[in-house]
Amino acid sequence: MTSIFTHDDEDIANEEYLAGESPADNNDDSAPLVDLRNVTRSVVLADDQQLHILRGVDLQIRVGDHTAIVGRSGCGKSTLLNILGLLDVPSSGQMLFDGTPVERLRSNTRAKLRGSSIGFVFQQFNLLPGRTALENVVTPLLYAGRKEFWRRNTLGMEILDRVGLAARAGTQPHMLSGGEQQRVAIARALVRRPRLILADEPTGALDVETGQAVMDLLDTIATESGAALVTITHDLNVAARARTRYRLDAGVLSSSDGMPVNDVLMGVSA
Amino acid sequence: MTALISTMVEAWSELRIHKTRVLLALIGVALSVAVLTTVVGVGNLTREGMRVDSERNGGREATLGVSVYADPSAAQAPDADRTASVLEATVKRYGFTHASRVTQAQGRFQFPSGVQSVQLTVVDPAYGAIHRVDIAQGGWFAEDDADRLAPAVVVNDAFYAAAGRPNLATAPQVTVLGSNKATAVIIGVMPNRYPEEMPQAFMLTAAAQAVGAAEQMPGMGPELRIWVPAGMAEQLVSVLNADLAQQLPGAQVSVHRSDYAAYGDPFAMVQLMVSGVAALILLLGAVGLLNISMVTVRYRVREIGIRRSFGATSGRIFTGVMMESVVGTTVAGAVGVMIAVAVVKNPWVESKVAPGLEDYPAFPVEAALLGLGAAVLVGALAGAIPALVAIRVKVIDAIRF
Repeated sequence: MTSIFTHDDEDIANEEYLAGESPADNNDDSAPLVDLRNVTRSVVLADDQQLHILRGVDLQIRVGDHTAIVGRSGCGKSTLLNILGLLDVPSSGQMLFDGTPVERLRSNTRAKLRGSSIGFVFQQFNLLPGRTALENVVTPLLYAGRKEFWRRNTLGMEILDRVGLAARAGTQPHMLSGGEQQRVAIARALVRRPRLILADEPTGALDVETGQAVMDLLDTIATESGAALVTITHDLNVAARARTRYRLDAGVLSSSDGMPVNDVLMGVSA
Repeated sequence: MTALISTMVEAWSELRIHKTRVLLALIGVALSVAVLTTVVGVGNLTREGMRVDSERNGGREATLGVSVYADPSAAQAPDADRTASVLEATVKRYGFTHASRVTQAQGRFQFPSGVQSVQLTVVDPAYGAIHRVDIAQGGWFAEDDADRLAPAVVVNDAFYAAAGRPNLATAPQVTVLGSNKATAVIIGVMPNRYPEEMPQAFMLTAAAQAVGAAEQMPGMGPELRIWVPAGMAEQLVSVLNADLAQQLPGAQVSVHRSDYAAYGDPFAMVQLMVSGVAALILLLGAVGLLNISMVTVRYRVREIGIRRSFGATSGRIFTGVMMESVVGTTVAGAVGVMIAVAVVKNPWVESKVAPGLEDYPAFPVEAALLGLGAAVLVGALAGAIPALVAIRVKVIDAIRF
């Protein structure tokens, strides 16, 4: 099977990226793709009290990293994922994406950067109803540059072939199994060749076997593309696949490198 | 350009996916536009019919009526010949191209059923143009008809029927029983303007005088009708009044506008009411569309969130939602306009709405443009509010919606 990440228009995805901005040297492998520095996120509740969701989070993610973040429900995992995915901004602290402080970026610039550099895989797949698998996969290309837009069906079929669903390109989501739907979602997340893949409980809606197959695929494709993969999960097996693991507890992120997986997860599933 | 095309692709995809909802919403818009355009089209046809009818009665815009009466208090009043010569000289001096003397009289004619007195209008050839005279057979008077030895008459269909419908090419004669009995020639037949219209005839002034055909009706003096440019009418009224009063001492001169537009546009109120009804209908259609659009956007919050996670900017989401609405209503508007054209140009509708018209006007382009423009506007307005709601959606909340 030919890799889809070898086609010649290598820079297409980043053509729109921060025009006029000055990102850090992208070729420096040691420079983090995402750099969170003492990030906090808090919200004001109805009674004017502040709820601190994230507290002083420091996190660096480099291209090619496979990172798992584990934590109990309500500990701030999804908030952290939203900040990593440029869907939300920190209340304080700094987040650098490719060396650029995202707080300085306007909403539209963040949206374009998100589209070109970040791919999301959701727990509930979030496929658009009424569209075929191919139409779902090519949806992100509607917001891409000229070349990608006009080649969207070709690119979509290539990535569907890569996830083993080329034969089901014309099938609507409700006719696909859970595993197939998640593979379509993965194809959609990867069709613009993001440098960062954020997976939010990617196996949460799947049985164990299907979940493993989906994670195998995600790991393989992420490795092949050189993208960083950040998985948020409380699944022991999914967390065990990551090379770097963090534990998020009450908004505080701590590194768990070198710890046994069960120790990392201790309390998470309790 | 790519952004525009991709937005349209996205909008079309949305319309295709939600075709049932879209169809239901757009049926309302199409019907609203059809009603709006039909009302405007029928209103235009009615207005045209009323205008033509009014022009046949009072003359085209702007027609001046000049009447000269003897002043009972004056020591010496001008005689009829003096008045006629002054009026003729005035018409020439001002360079009026369309002027006609008009005298309402009774004329006696010999019909197969016996002698009958009919309404006889004594005119000059320009009367036909000033009053938009419609001729069904033959023609209206020409300048040289005044030179005929047998006077020419133009009659209405009731007269023509009473005369036994003679063949205009071979035996168009009818006997006039004036002070001199004469054989007149029917040169034209006008359609009756309403059912049961009484026989009526027109004769040129010189011919009527020659045969002594016109018994002037009591209190109805000769009047001069002049068709003048509308913009100069008011100025000419005062100038002619002063001019003729000076030339005809001892006479009362009255120069006034006799056309339908003398006191402003009489159809303006009708048009205003019709437009109000049409606007109300369109508003109802727009509210229906807005309602469905709002419900749809709320239903689509999750989808909008997902799209934004793929990199759709808020501007793109706004344009996309707007475009869906505008594309849909434009198509619905075109359908509505086609329905309106089919209704308004239906021969039965035309004959009922404007029975006085012989040649019906083409479907008014402004009505079609109004309908289409209204559809686009409704689409933009009904799309803008949901689009604003859509861009206010918080991505995080939307994805979890």
